[in-house]
Amino acid sequence: MSRGGRHVYAAVSVLAAGALVLSGCSKGGSSGGDNHKKDDTNAKRQQALIKFGDVAASTGPAAPVPGAKSGGTMEFLERDSPAHLDPAQIYTFAEATLAPLLHRGLTGYKATSDDGGKHEVVGDLATDSGTVSDGGRTWKYTLKEGIKFQDGATITSKDVRHSFERLFAPFLTKGPTYLQQWMADTAGTDYRKLLPDGPYQGKHLPDSVLETPDEHTVVFHFKKPVTDLPYALAMTGYSIVEEKGDTKEKYDRAPLATGPYKIQSFKSGKSMVLVKNDQWDPKTDPIRHQYVDRFNVTFNQQYEMSTKALIADSGVDRKGVSLQNQVDAGNLSRVLSDPKMKSRTVAGYQPYVGQININMSKPELKDKKVREAIAYALPVTPFVRAYGGEAAMEVAGGLISPTVSGYDPTFDPFGKKKKPAGDPAKAKKLLEEAGKSGMKLTFAYVNTPEGQQYSTAMAEGLKKAGFDVQRQELPAETYFDEVSKIHNNFDIFHTSWGADWPSASTVLPPTTDGRLIADGAHNYPQVNDAHVNSEIDRISTITDPVKAATEWEKLDKYLLTEVVHAVPTGYYKQVQIAGSQVGGLAYDDVLGGIDPRRLYVK
Amino acid sequence: MTSPPKAEGGGTPVVGGEREPGKGPEGGQVEGRSPGRLMWIRFKRDRVGVVSAFVVGFFFLIGLLAPLISKVYGKDPFTVYADERPELFDSAGVPVQPNGGISGEFWFGLEPGNGYDVFTKLIYGIRTSLMISLTVTVAVVLTGIVLGVTAGYLGGKADFAIGRLIDFLLAIPAQLFFIASMPVVVSLFVSPRDETPTYVRVVALIAVQWLLGWMSLGRILRGATLSLREREFIEAARVSGATSERIIRKEILPNVVTPLLVQSTYLLPNFVTAEAALSFLGVGIVEPTPDWGQMFAKASTELVLQNDITYMFFPGVSMIIFVIAFNLLGDSVRDAFDPKSAR
Repeated sequence: MSRGGRHVYAAVSVLAAGALVLSGCSKGGSSGGDNHKKDDTNAKRQQALIKFGDVAASTGPAAPVPGAKSGGTMEFLERDSPAHLDPAQIYTFAEATLAPLLHRGLTGYKATSDDGGKHEVVGDLATDSGTVSDGGRTWKYTLKEGIKFQDGATITSKDVRHSFERLFAPFLTKGPTYLQQWMADTAGTDYRKLLPDGPYQGKHLPDSVLETPDEHTVVFHFKKPVTDLPYALAMTGYSIVEEKGDTKEKYDRAPLATGPYKIQSFKSGKSMVLVKNDQWDPKTDPIRHQYVDRFNVTFNQQYEMSTKALIADSGVDRKGVSLQNQVDAGNLSRVLSDPKMKSRTVAGYQPYVGQININMSKPELKDKKVREAIAYALPVTPFVRAYGGEAAMEVAGGLISPTVSGYDPTFDPFGKKKKPAGDPAKAKKLLEEAGKSGMKLTFAYVNTPEGQQYSTAMAEGLKKAGFDVQRQELPAETYFDEVSKIHNNFDIFHTSWGADWPSASTVLPPTTDGRLIADGAHNYPQVNDAHVNSEIDRISTITDPVKAATEWEKLDKYLLTEVVHAVPTGYYKQVQIAGSQVGGLAYDDVLGGIDPRRLYVK
Repeated sequence: MTSPPKAEGGGTPVVGGEREPGKGPEGGQVEGRSPGRLMWIRFKRDRVGVVSAFVVGFFFLIGLLAPLISKVYGKDPFTVYADERPELFDSAGVPVQPNGGISGEFWFGLEPGNGYDVFTKLIYGIRTSLMISLTVTVAVVLTGIVLGVTAGYLGGKADFAIGRLIDFLLAIPAQLFFIASMPVVVSLFVSPRDETPTYVRVVALIAVQWLLGWMSLGRILRGATLSLREREFIEAARVSGATSERIIRKEILPNVVTPLLVQSTYLLPNFVTAEAALSFLGVGIVEPTPDWGQMFAKASTELVLQNDITYMFFPGVSMIIFVIAFNLLGDSVRDAFDPKSAR
């Protein structure tokens, strides 16, 4: 290089440095505004217990949305294109977001407040949420009049029977399995033996399991008491499928709608168009509305893309909203600090609760004092920070989330709400009492940017209490396989769990029942406590959902104060944004996102 | 290729093309000056080179004295200030005060996220990066000398074998190889219950960079040796019965010092940026060990880009200054050794 060249080089570099200097000024703080207050009201409204509704509550039409107008086209900007359209194959959050517009089941959640915070389980296609007898072993449903598929055929008990029998067919593997397991009274996938080919070879479930005495009546018979059936039947996976129109595997491409909208076209990975289903009768439906004429769905919109489009709020994006996507962590503060943008957002809880599991199978962790020392020492602030702060994560008290019936916001076993950064002094004392100061603690973390960030800071907090923390990175793809092995090397590790429906019966039994410990099972800390096991059995038979919810919360308290198998870290939250012409915007806590059924174009 | 000073007739006054005599302290009478001394005289006259040398020296000094500086400063790069001093941060870990929380207490502000002190993190990061790069450079220079000079001096089969090895290694895409091999190399040393120690990562980083870093230098040295081998003074040494070892040590090596020095001043900043790139991609040094590249990775996250762009300034500017200074220094060293190519 010649001398002359060298000067040019130097000059360019100085310019580059100058650009950095210019851009190197920033204002402090990320999220403006007082989200705190709103979150408290969020938490408060969650204390309401969910009831099972009667005939009056289950009668349509749904209460009108204030100020709603009919007509117009709305845009949905979504990230994941659904891999399945057959309702029996739908289980994941992303796939289930559009389902409330398309499919109906025997029961459903009716929002009883306009903010989407209060709910009731009501009859959707059925006249009520179910009549239980025989201590929870028998459930009877009666179908409404005037309910039809999109092809005009009336929905009868034969279709209902078919919908549940086809769940046993081998090609349906992705949906929930609660109902099938209850019917067959088994765990795991053994339920398929009850009806190996589904209804397609002419075989049917015996009347002792599923009985359809007439066109309008469906009766479930279970061997053991089932208390959560109305919750379970409200899942998209248990929506009703027409017997005549069931094309088996091909149904996954073109399902028949029962809800207010039907699929006009679907290009996988690209787009979907939903139009009004003229066979849907609002008088039969206590849950849904049909204000918008047409929904245009665009897929493959990443969080940053959809957020930027909706922030810009121009063209068709003014009528745009995203059901799946949340405001990405980078733009979150910008959105929340601008009152104009903030007014177009809704925020609420996702059903997940994070927890640091303490591996109870490790001999050195058998001492409750040591586990308590971990619980008190552990800072949960790193976890909240890593996911974007208070707007995306709330410091958790117990294991039962605010979206679950029976949540107690005052429960704070390790003082995390007051001292989210941990209490190293108390932990140090506990550890010294146990005589284990300086003990080695292997902390497995998932090797993502978030995982790296929170694990380093958590390790720093645990070190202050006198632990010798050894961080172990695990690849994200195999993380859950590794930590759910019975014989693993890890003392503590983080997992999160989301309820399938707003009852702790889908939270505590799968994660703390000692009889379920197995490779790949969800009892990650390997809790095996006689009292917990017997309580799970006892509470599972309580048919009153309100009473059961309070009992589950008691068990939650026992677990965290007497067993200390885990340290709850955070309740997952999200902020979603919509265009300025989207009306009826509400965050539905049961859906875990914007409620599409009440949207209208302003 | 540079002209080996010794070949011009070691020890005699300087050859033509120089127009520097006349001025300067040694103007008056003709006196014998060694090539090294001449180089030094020419280098001192190059103001850019001298400034660059001071800048580079400053960086090395900072790296060397990092623990001392941080002791005087009273902070270390591992303290999670977001938990120690929560009032300085919002809930997402972004410093509340403007410009990334720069204050009299935290001179360069605080890192968004866990809230590490940026000043100590930067000086320790410089220490880590320079230590790794310097080690790689030394290893590469030694390997280049051994293999390059051997190939050039021996020729024949040895030359062929080393030449093909160089070709083979040059064909491997370096960055991809680093990314793919780093986790493998690291996992070779990991015990199942303990944390991967930092030194393992450091050794792995040095190893993979060294493995794919020595070839260009090796080739240059081979070429230089090849041309020297046929020169009269080498032949004279051979005829007078000198051993190969002596010829290489006393005759060839002193004559390849120029390309060696020039190349290594170019190599070192390259290794600094390559090491930073690896850490940026998450396969090099990981948190909480401070590292330059890792600071860039942090600076490129949406959280920092949207909320605290100031953070980018410190690792960015310091690395730009360092790399430019080192490259300018390399130019000056080259000019000083071989003034003909510059004018």
